[in-house]
Amino acid sequence: MLKRRKNCIAMLLAGGQGSRLKVLTADIAKPAVPFGGKYRIIDFPLSNCVNSGIDTVGILTQYQPLVLNNYIGNGQPWGLNRNFGGAHVLPPYAKSEKSEWYKGTANAIYQNIPFIDMYNPEYVLILSGDHIYKMNYDEMLAYHIEKESDCTIAVIDVPLKEASRFGIINTNEDNSIYEFEEKPEHPKCTNASMGIYIFTWKVLKKYLIEDENNPESDNDFGKNVLPALLKDNQRMFAYPFKGYWKDVGTIESLWQANMDLIDDSVGFELKDKSFKIYARNYAKPPCYMAPSGSAEHSLVSEGCVVEGKVDHSIISTGCTIGKGAYINHSVIMPDTVIEEGAVIEYAIIGEHVTIGKNARVGKSPASEISGWGISVVGTGKTIEQDKVIDPKEIV
Amino acid sequence: MNIIGIVFSNIYDSSLGDLTEHRTSASLPFGGRYRHIDFVLSNMVNSDITTIGVITKHNYQSLMDHLGSCSEWDLNRKDSGLFILPPFNLGQSGVYRGKLEALSGASTFLHRGKPEYVLLSDSNLLCNIDYQKVLKAHKKSGAKVTVIANRQKPNYDGEIMPLVLSADENSKANDILIDTTFDEKNLLGMGMYIVDKQYLINSVKECVARGHFHFERDLLQAAFNEGTLDINIFEFNGTVLRNKDVASYFKNNMACLDADVRNDLFNPENPIYTKVRDEAPTFYSESSVTNNCLIADGCIIKGYVENSVIFRDVTIEEGAVVKNSIIMQGSVVSKDAKVEYSIIDKNVVITEGTTLIGAEIKPEIIPKGRTV
Repeated sequence: MLKRRKNCIAMLLAGGQGSRLKVLTADIAKPAVPFGGKYRIIDFPLSNCVNSGIDTVGILTQYQPLVLNNYIGNGQPWGLNRNFGGAHVLPPYAKSEKSEWYKGTANAIYQNIPFIDMYNPEYVLILSGDHIYKMNYDEMLAYHIEKESDCTIAVIDVPLKEASRFGIINTNEDNSIYEFEEKPEHPKCTNASMGIYIFTWKVLKKYLIEDENNPESDNDFGKNVLPALLKDNQRMFAYPFKGYWKDVGTIESLWQANMDLIDDSVGFELKDKSFKIYARNYAKPPCYMAPSGSAEHSLVSEGCVVEGKVDHSIISTGCTIGKGAYINHSVIMPDTVIEEGAVIEYAIIGEHVTIGKNARVGKSPASEISGWGISVVGTGKTIEQDKVIDPKEIV
Repeated sequence: MNIIGIVFSNIYDSSLGDLTEHRTSASLPFGGRYRHIDFVLSNMVNSDITTIGVITKHNYQSLMDHLGSCSEWDLNRKDSGLFILPPFNLGQSGVYRGKLEALSGASTFLHRGKPEYVLLSDSNLLCNIDYQKVLKAHKKSGAKVTVIANRQKPNYDGEIMPLVLSADENSKANDILIDTTFDEKNLLGMGMYIVDKQYLINSVKECVARGHFHFERDLLQAAFNEGTLDINIFEFNGTVLRNKDVASYFKNNMACLDADVRNDLFNPENPIYTKVRDEAPTFYSESSVTNNCLIADGCIIKGYVENSVIFRDVTIEEGAVVKNSIIMQGSVVSKDAKVEYSIIDKNVVITEGTTLIGAEIKPEIIPKGRTV
C-alpha cells in the first residue's frame, strides 16, 4: 500500500450540459461559462479548494470538454500543478469488458474509484461546477471529523417561499439528518442542500459499489446514494453554511449572480486578498477608457477599450465598446465587440460576439412589456447593423 | 533553436533616479501592469528563443520576485528556460563595470549547448519585435554582429543617444558614434545585438584581458575602426519606447494612451506577458469620471482620472483628482487629494486633501511605500 497519501481530495462534477443556459452552453460545458468579468464558473470551486488547503482535484468531464480541458490545462493558474496531487481532468474511458459514459453523478465517481484509491484519502469532497460562492471546505472537514460523520452535506438557509425549488434536508437538534425531500411542496424547514458533500472514503466506496450493482438505480447521489446511506442509519450531518451562494443554472440566475457582484447590499467580495479567486490569465493590456467612454457602477476588466457608456454592467476581458454605445444592466462576456451606437439593456452577450452598429438588444423592465426577460446572444454570433433583439429573446 | 538570449537588467539604473532606488531598471513597472523586462522576455519567447540568461548586478530581489518560476512566460522548462546570472567573481572587483565584464562572468552560460548565435539586449527599451526576422537578416548578411536600430527625430535639440550609426545601401555600418547627437538620417542603436557566439566568446576574453569593459566602445567601435569587424544593421520600423531617464519614462507611459502605440506594442498576435496577480476586475462607482486613461485590474475608481496610467490594485477615492500621472500598484489617492504630473510609486498613500503638482519635464516622484 502507498505510504504517501492525501487526507482529503476533491472530485468536481463538471460534465453537465447545463441545458437551461441554452445558447451559452451550446459548445461548452456549464462550468466553463464565463462569469464576473474574468472568471469561469469552475474558478470558484477550484479556488475554494486551493484556499482550503486541498491540492488534489479530480475534474470529471463529459459534455463538450474542449474549452474546459484547455482552460484547466496543467492547473497552474490555481497552483494545482503538483507532482503529487494537483488538477486531473477525468473523462469517461473505455474498459476491457465495456465502455460507457458517466451514467449519473454517483457512477462518475464509481468509475474513478482507482483514481481516488491512488491517493488513498481518508475523506472525499464531492463538488459541482454550477455555483458561485466562497467557502472554506477545511472548516467543513473539521466539522465532519468532529461529528464522526460518514457523510456531511453543506446546507444553506433559503427563504421559505423558495424552499420548494431545492433539495431540503430535515435535521434533528444536533444537525443529524433524518430525511431528504426533493423539491417538497410543503417544506418542513429551509435547509437547502448546496450539492457539497464530504464522505469518509471507505464508506462512500462501499455504497458506490452497491449502487452500481443495483440495476434499478439511476446512479445519482441525491436520488440513490444519499438515501441508501440514510436507510442504513449511517452517521449523516448537515453543515450549516452562512454566506453568499448562488446557483447559476438558468439565464436569470446567471444574470442575477453577475449583478450581485456590483450590489453592495449583497456583500460578495471578489477583492478579498485572503481568499482570492484565481483564473487563467490572457496577457492583455490594461483597460483603456477613452474621452468619450464612461463606466458607472460597473466592473470592467483588462484588455477592454471603452468608448461608449457602461452603466450597472459587467464587461469582461478583451471587449470593445464603441462610441455612442450604451450598456445597461448587462453582462458582456470576453472578447466581444459592441459597435458604435448599439444599445444593450438587461442582456447577456456571449463570448466572441459582434453587435452591429445601432443594433438594440433587450430592454429595461421599466418599459412594462408583457413577457419581459433577459435577452441572450449566444457565443460567436454576429448581430447585424440596426437589428433589434427583443427582451427575453435568445439567439 | 540556434540562438540564446542574454538580458542586462541593471544598465540604466542610475539615470532613473528614485524609481530604481529599490529595484533594477528591468523590474521598473510600466504601462499599468508590466515591468520593463516583460517586453524583452515576451519578444524572445514569441520569437522561439527559450534559453535566456538574465544578468544582474544589485537590487535584484524585486526582479527575482517578479520572475518567480517564469511560468507566465512559459520559461519553466526542462532543458532550456530562464537562468538568473548573479554577479560572478571577477578577480578583485566582484561587480562588473560594463557589459563585457558581465558577459565574461556569464561565460558558463554562454558555453551552454550548441547554439551559434547570441541575442544581447538591454531591458529598458520597449518594442514588439520578431527576432527571427533579425536572425534571418543576420545570417544572410554574413556579418559577425547585427545591431538592431531605428530612426527617429530628436525629442529636443541636442538630445544624446548612446549609439548612433549610419549605414550604406547594403545595411552595412559605415560609421559608429557613441554618446552623441543625431538626426533623422542616423540609425539609433536599440541596445539589441545578434552576435556570432564564438566571436563573442573570443572577443569578450580578449577585451577583458586588456581591462576593457564597454561593449559598444571597446568592442564594436574599436573593432570597426580597426577594420576587423563588419557590422550589419537591422532597421526596425515599429514603435520604440526608450526609457532612459525619468522624463522619457513619463512620456512613454503616456504614449500608451495612444491607440496606435498600444496596438503595436501590445499586438495580440505577440502578447506581452507579465506576472499574474489574480486581481478582480476594476470597479467604477457612480461618482467616477475617466477620461483618456489606462486602468489595470483590481482598482476601485470613485474619483476623477484624466490622461493617466493606473496600475493594478489602486484606489482613487471620491473627490480625488488625478491628471497626467502614473499611479503604481497598491497606491491610494484619498478623498479630495489632487495629483498632477506625478509618478506615485508602489504602495503609496496620498492622504486626504493633499495636493501634489509636478511638471511634465520633471514629474514629482513619490518613492515606494511613502505616506504623504
